[in-house]
Amino acid sequence: MPDTWTPARGRPATPPPPSRRQLLRAAGAGLAGLGALGATAACGTPGTAPATTRPLPAAPAGEVVRLQYWAWLKDLQQVCDVWNAKNPGVQVEAVWIPGGNSGGYQKIFSALAAGSGPDIAQIEVRTLPSYLLQNGLADLGQYGFEDVIGSYDAGLASQVRLDGKLWGVPQDSGPIGFFYRPESLDAVGAQPPATWEEWLEVARAVHANDPGHWIDSFNAGDPTTFISIATQAGATWFRPEGEEWVIDMTDDATTAVARLFDTALDEGLLNTALPPFSVGWFAAAGNGAIASLVSGSWADALIEGTTGGEGQWRVAPVPTWASDPALSSAVGSSYLGGSTAAITSTCPYPREALAFATWMTTDPEGIDAMIRYSGIGWSPASDYIGAARQEPSAFFSDQPYNTEVFQPAAQQQRTDWTWSPVTLQAINIVADAFRARLTGGYRTCLDALAAAQPQVVAAHRDKGLAVRAAS
Amino acid sequence: MSATTTAPQQGAPQAPRQDRAPSSSEGARRRRGTTVLVTAVLAVVTAYFLLPVYWVVVAATKSTQDLFGTNGFWFSSSPQLLSNLSAVFTYDGGIFVRWLLNSLLYAGLGAVLATYFAAAAGYALAKYEFRGRGLVQALVLGGVLVPGTATALPLFLLFSQMGLANTYWGVLVPSLVSPFGVFLCQVYARATVPDSMVEAARLDGAGELRIFHVFALRALAPALVTVLLFQVVGIWNNYFLPLVMLADQQLYPVTLGLTAWRSQVDRLPEFYQLTTAGVLVSVIPLAVAMLVLQRFWRGGLTEGAVKD
Amino acid sequence: MSTAAGSRQLGDRAGRTTAAAPPARRRAGGAQRRAPWLLMAPFLLLFLLTFIAPVLYAVGQSFTRVTRAGLFGQEGTTSGFAGLENYSRALSDGGFLASVGRVLLFGVVQVTVMIVVATVLALLLESASAKWPGFFRTAYFLPYGIPGVIATILWSFLYVPGISPVLGLLGAVGVDLDPLAPSTVLWSIANIVTWAYTGYNMLIIVAQLKSIPKELYEAARVDGAGPLRIATSLQLPLVRPALVLATVFSIIGTLQLFAEPQVLQSVAPAVSNDYTPNLAAYNSAFNYNDYGVASAQAVLIALAAFVLSAVFLGLTNRGRR
Repeated sequence: MPDTWTPARGRPATPPPPSRRQLLRAAGAGLAGLGALGATAACGTPGTAPATTRPLPAAPAGEVVRLQYWAWLKDLQQVCDVWNAKNPGVQVEAVWIPGGNSGGYQKIFSALAAGSGPDIAQIEVRTLPSYLLQNGLADLGQYGFEDVIGSYDAGLASQVRLDGKLWGVPQDSGPIGFFYRPESLDAVGAQPPATWEEWLEVARAVHANDPGHWIDSFNAGDPTTFISIATQAGATWFRPEGEEWVIDMTDDATTAVARLFDTALDEGLLNTALPPFSVGWFAAAGNGAIASLVSGSWADALIEGTTGGEGQWRVAPVPTWASDPALSSAVGSSYLGGSTAAITSTCPYPREALAFATWMTTDPEGIDAMIRYSGIGWSPASDYIGAARQEPSAFFSDQPYNTEVFQPAAQQQRTDWTWSPVTLQAINIVADAFRARLTGGYRTCLDALAAAQPQVVAAHRDKGLAVRAAS
Repeated sequence: MSATTTAPQQGAPQAPRQDRAPSSSEGARRRRGTTVLVTAVLAVVTAYFLLPVYWVVVAATKSTQDLFGTNGFWFSSSPQLLSNLSAVFTYDGGIFVRWLLNSLLYAGLGAVLATYFAAAAGYALAKYEFRGRGLVQALVLGGVLVPGTATALPLFLLFSQMGLANTYWGVLVPSLVSPFGVFLCQVYARATVPDSMVEAARLDGAGELRIFHVFALRALAPALVTVLLFQVVGIWNNYFLPLVMLADQQLYPVTLGLTAWRSQVDRLPEFYQLTTAGVLVSVIPLAVAMLVLQRFWRGGLTEGAVKD
Repeated sequence: MSTAAGSRQLGDRAGRTTAAAPPARRRAGGAQRRAPWLLMAPFLLLFLLTFIAPVLYAVGQSFTRVTRAGLFGQEGTTSGFAGLENYSRALSDGGFLASVGRVLLFGVVQVTVMIVVATVLALLLESASAKWPGFFRTAYFLPYGIPGVIATILWSFLYVPGISPVLGLLGAVGVDLDPLAPSTVLWSIANIVTWAYTGYNMLIIVAQLKSIPKELYEAARVDGAGPLRIATSLQLPLVRPALVLATVFSIIGTLQLFAEPQVLQSVAPAVSNDYTPNLAAYNSAFNYNDYGVASAQAVLIALAAFVLSAVFLGLTNRGRR
């Protein structure tokens, strides 16, 4: 029914109030209608129909296959055109959608619910399980992807493997690094910190030197950086155990990270008002009020947007947990973000789509096009980082930071981190909890996480999944 | 020396005059003072209401750089209205034109058919006695009182099971239903279609449907215009339903399309120009239509208000 | 009002015959019995499809829960009866409750301001002291012709520092306003809604004002009443029905606020995914894929609007009698 009523400010003609008899009739009709409820409810909830388990055949020879790729990468069509020129039988059209969390995922989910939708969709690695839950993905192992998965970064490859099968083609990632202003660190005589303990020392020095300066900002609204560092420390928030999910958000590794941030926040060492890459943040980073940033490799393009930043920045490996012997599963680096080109369950030509996606993400030509036109994050192929990234960067003080920092970082990733099918909700729950921590609702980040954990467990249970808390 | 009065419209009573001692100069000064004050207040309020429209006219002539660089209240030194407009109409293969045509389809065809169906149903409810009449009236009342946004989501789920989601039908079919139109038509039919006319037509051998189409519709015509306009505005304004129902940009109405452009300004600054010029194109004809058709609103509203 | 008995036809195409023959009268009644259903058929069928069916579907979904076997539901999903679980989840969700509180606050404040302004404008326009009332009336009505979404896009530009000349002006006199900050964005939305609909409400009141009989004005003048007295004692009470109606439907409209906050979301991160009840339902459905909870929320919103409408309509009509 159209919105003729909304916003209906002031319809003049008065419908008479329902008389008792009219109400009774309406009620009677309603009760009769309740009987039909059974039938309509049986129509089923979207996303609960099982996806086909049998592999779809290839397109008949001679037929031109047209695929739609929904993504928020810019200028993706130029990348597709490189492929289209060489593969007249498979033509790919790029359709821009807003960023996943800004409405893109809503579009993809609702298109899948309607039974139509794209053939390939850009789905972040952390959201992939949610799509699997809605039976929105095609099982790529059936189309020979197992033979190709070896050419991808081990860490990324592990995150597209869910329940033993492969569900998406890794498209890009973001190994984290320590972006810093040498000037700010030199002013306090500090070197880029090698461990998180040293990082705390540098933070204290920077803030003591000038109370209007901070080493970094803490964005309560986006806990993914925190989660990334917890991953680095060895945490596993969502662990599949058999048919059950085990939620553990307060283990030793997470506790260590929480303690680190609590100390920094209590001592006022982190800026809590300027989320990274906001307008205010660019200004602060430009004039030195923010000394550094821990973020994914893709942040280089954004930092290059700071005015007057040329030559003011360098990149160092992210601080590690080497100083904490209790964290035995800690690794050298972690990912922040990362996308896949997922082939949807509604795609009628998964073989052809997979061929395109594989080319785009392992063939040097594809990777170079992606970097050049779409500005993707870190290359997903384990053996090729992209021609453009092998050179030193003028902006970053002539440092070949990609080969120096991020290439090794990509080799030091966890291979046993799993995202949950309710990651989006979990992140929102943690964000709310962290926001409360900043405004006094919780005394520490650990308290916030301890309060968030039962809600995350409940979110799983509401989806009908078997779940329990670890402790 | 007389105070200005509003011109009587449609025979409505005149506004009260302030006839105190007309020869008193103090009285005249007070009246002039009041007039000036009132007019000033009204003028300031006018500035508020017309500000965004004025702004978009100015902004549509600027490039993105000038949008940020020059004063928003006046034009830049190098206006480029024509190039902005041509960009709007040619971007992405002329998709803006497609959006305009879609909006016309949904609002035009939808409203016309909705009015026709509503007239038929309203006439039937007004002029016939039959079992189940009360039930239908109750249902229509329910339809009027329950907001459309509450049904859009389940309608999408239902239509997606039927394969109608993300098609023209997905937006068109719901636009054909106007419970409020049925209600209005019922009221008007009862008032403007006399039983005697119907009787006479029956005596002359006309079939029921013929009576409706030939006689009743003619009598209902002024009311139908009101219903049509309400429905057109309602469908044109409708955002939730197409947003939920449509994923394919080719099917978007112009409201959804401009929103999509607006959301891209961060990634491609040229969208600032496209959006402002696009808004201008969509606003101007609507504004003109609104002004021309203003009297239909007043007419419909008066009748509805006086009736009660 | 039945005219079947009165028809006296002689074999016309519809097959009606003289009233004398009982079987013929039944046939006459038959065509007339069929006619209303025939006339209502297109509307009723479409109404059934686009209104009744979705409402039933939504109610059905709101009582459904999905159980998934396997880590990702790959072992199978079963739908079952959920009782009131979805409703309790919807009503215990802090975000949803906050959104309800938010639109109620919005409704109370914005509608009051808008109706007051519309009334004052109507009275001013219809008073003796107004010059060019037609021009002003037209100017105030203009924003109504602009769809809410487009109006929001327009104002969204005027809320961005750097583009907005208004913010530039305010900044020049030292007023630093951020219309899209968490504390102000609700009122920025209120501004858009007020801008769009004040003129329309004003027209309604003007229409009612014009229907006040001249004699009442003359009587008031004879009594020596000044313009202010005329406004408060004569005009306001007589436009009360229009005022009440405009208020009621405006409040109900604000319950369904969706387009303005949603369009503003892309420029105002302060507008969360569950800023208004409709946004929360949309979010539940398409971000969390919680169709059961989304349906429960939609049903709750519809019920609230229905109850509010019915209650206020009852009050209005009783008051008039």
